[in-house]
Amino acid sequence: MDKIGLPRSLFYYYHGDIWKTFFSKLNIPYIISPNTNKEIMDRGLKVSNDEMCLALKNYLGHIDYLKDKCDYILIPRICNYKVNNQACTNFWAAYDIVNNLFDINILNYNIDLEKGESLKKGLYKIGRKLNKKPLEIRKAYKKAIYEYNLIKKKNTQINLNKLNSKKTKILIVSHPYNTYDSIIGSDIIKYLTNEGAEVIYSDKFDAEKTNKLSGKLSKNLYFKYSKESIGSIIYAMDKIDGIIFISSFPCAPDSLVNELVMRKIKKPHINIIIDNNSSFTGIETRLESFLDVLRGNIHV
Amino acid sequence: MKECYLGIDIGSISTKGVIIDERNNIITSSYIWTEGNPVNAVKKLVNILKKNLPKNYILKAVGTTGSARKLIGLMLNANIIKNEITAHAIGTLFYHPNVRTILEIGGQDSKIILIKNGIITNYAMNTLCAAGTGAFLSSQAKRLGIDVEDFGKYALKSKNPVKIAARCTVFAESDLVHKAQVGYPKEDIIAGLCKSIVLNYLNNVGKGKKIEPPIVFQGGVSKNEGVVKYFKEVLDEDIIVDKEGHLMGAIGIAILAKNNKTGNNYSLEVNNIKFETKAFECNHCSNNCELLRIFKNGRQIDSWGSKCGKY
Repeated sequence: MDKIGLPRSLFYYYHGDIWKTFFSKLNIPYIISPNTNKEIMDRGLKVSNDEMCLALKNYLGHIDYLKDKCDYILIPRICNYKVNNQACTNFWAAYDIVNNLFDINILNYNIDLEKGESLKKGLYKIGRKLNKKPLEIRKAYKKAIYEYNLIKKKNTQINLNKLNSKKTKILIVSHPYNTYDSIIGSDIIKYLTNEGAEVIYSDKFDAEKTNKLSGKLSKNLYFKYSKESIGSIIYAMDKIDGIIFISSFPCAPDSLVNELVMRKIKKPHINIIIDNNSSFTGIETRLESFLDVLRGNIHV
Repeated sequence: MKECYLGIDIGSISTKGVIIDERNNIITSSYIWTEGNPVNAVKKLVNILKKNLPKNYILKAVGTTGSARKLIGLMLNANIIKNEITAHAIGTLFYHPNVRTILEIGGQDSKIILIKNGIITNYAMNTLCAAGTGAFLSSQAKRLGIDVEDFGKYALKSKNPVKIAARCTVFAESDLVHKAQVGYPKEDIIAGLCKSIVLNYLNNVGKGKKIEPPIVFQGGVSKNEGVVKYFKEVLDEDIIVDKEGHLMGAIGIAILAKNNKTGNNYSLEVNNIKFETKAFECNHCSNNCELLRIFKNGRQIDSWGSKCGKY
């Protein structure tokens, strides 16, 4: 039986839950690469070039880790979710970059709603390629979407509940593949939680609502994921104490969008840009002082 | 016996220490180079302070700040360890209760702190890039064969500062080399450099922040009259530079230590403390954590960098 490799990076943080149910229901074995560790990051740094962002370098590390452990690696291409909802260019390019760098079999689907290419169409195609019957595929897809929606609903509710917390509430505005990655963002989250702050995530709101709300900060943005993250600021504004922007170096959408937003919002905020510096000291200083500022309990 | 309180600010370039009394007056202070070895620098510093401290004082609190605050905090058993932003704000607020904006440029960090009614309302720090900080100035001073302490004097002589790219130090450096090769006088190049530090700071750290007077300028770079002059010129505001500006972090952390005193006595006897750090890479799992183990008198008292908590 063919085994599918699922890299725990980039797309995984958007579609991973769907993939897992979809392949389980079809009885197709799969392997997920582990949380990013130093070895995976080093592999990524070795195969990537200097102009790629840290998140993409990391992604290539996960591919490199999986390349001899499975028969196929799943790499989608996410272009757009209709007009003015583009994905970052790396999401367009990842498939081609991997195809050029590695000698592996790739399973691919496109999301390009402007041209009618949807997730459903893509996963059906993959099911057929793996010799599954149409009825099975339909059932697996339905189940996958159903469970994905349940998880999403639950996470959104947890996030919303946190908005009423009595602790110092900090909104993390960042892409999920940075926030939850064990080398890029999770040390920051861990530090904040240990220091007694309530951490709220920009990607765990109702994306349709946040997408619309982003119009209040800028009317002509066209990056889907950026729209959703900054829409969350408007959504949560009255209930949070401060905002931390996290981005991986060099992120093109963030360098435009975060800069724009930081000039417009009145809440205290800091911007943390992560490259592959291994020391946490500099970041800790910024986080610690930010918490001091938010709590305002320091006097002469 | 009168009570006194020690504050130490261990930066990347310099180590600052003060001992203050009950009313926050400085009893004695010292300022030395860190020279890449915070442990030795602090031993040296504490010995200088001890020599100058009148015999009728007893040490009741110790605080550390700056990038080596955790290490030195452990070594001296500090009762408070705080980041340098908070420490600087507290120190400055003691001398200038009305301050609205603190500009600070140090060895590898630069920051801006905004204050309203004695409370920090916002701040920003350079991203992890050290462009436009003291480190850049000292490396350029070396290139030009001038002591960095004399930079200010040269800059003030110039009537016509050259234009130097302000965004990135790598670009700034190549601009600098070109201007020197073309034959511009040294003082014009140095003045241009000072101006580029100011523009870089305002573009990078100060962007989007409303800089309101009174403005206090601190950190090692505030000793450079050239940079002060161009801050005045660009912001069109008066800039306050304290004689004690370089000690503000240390004073702030001493005040915080005093406010958090535990009732214990502290000792200034550091010569006999054997304080060692050992770095090694743990190979038990694929995280390959870079660990730092800290030994005091041969006994491990702490270790940092472990993701799993094994050490």
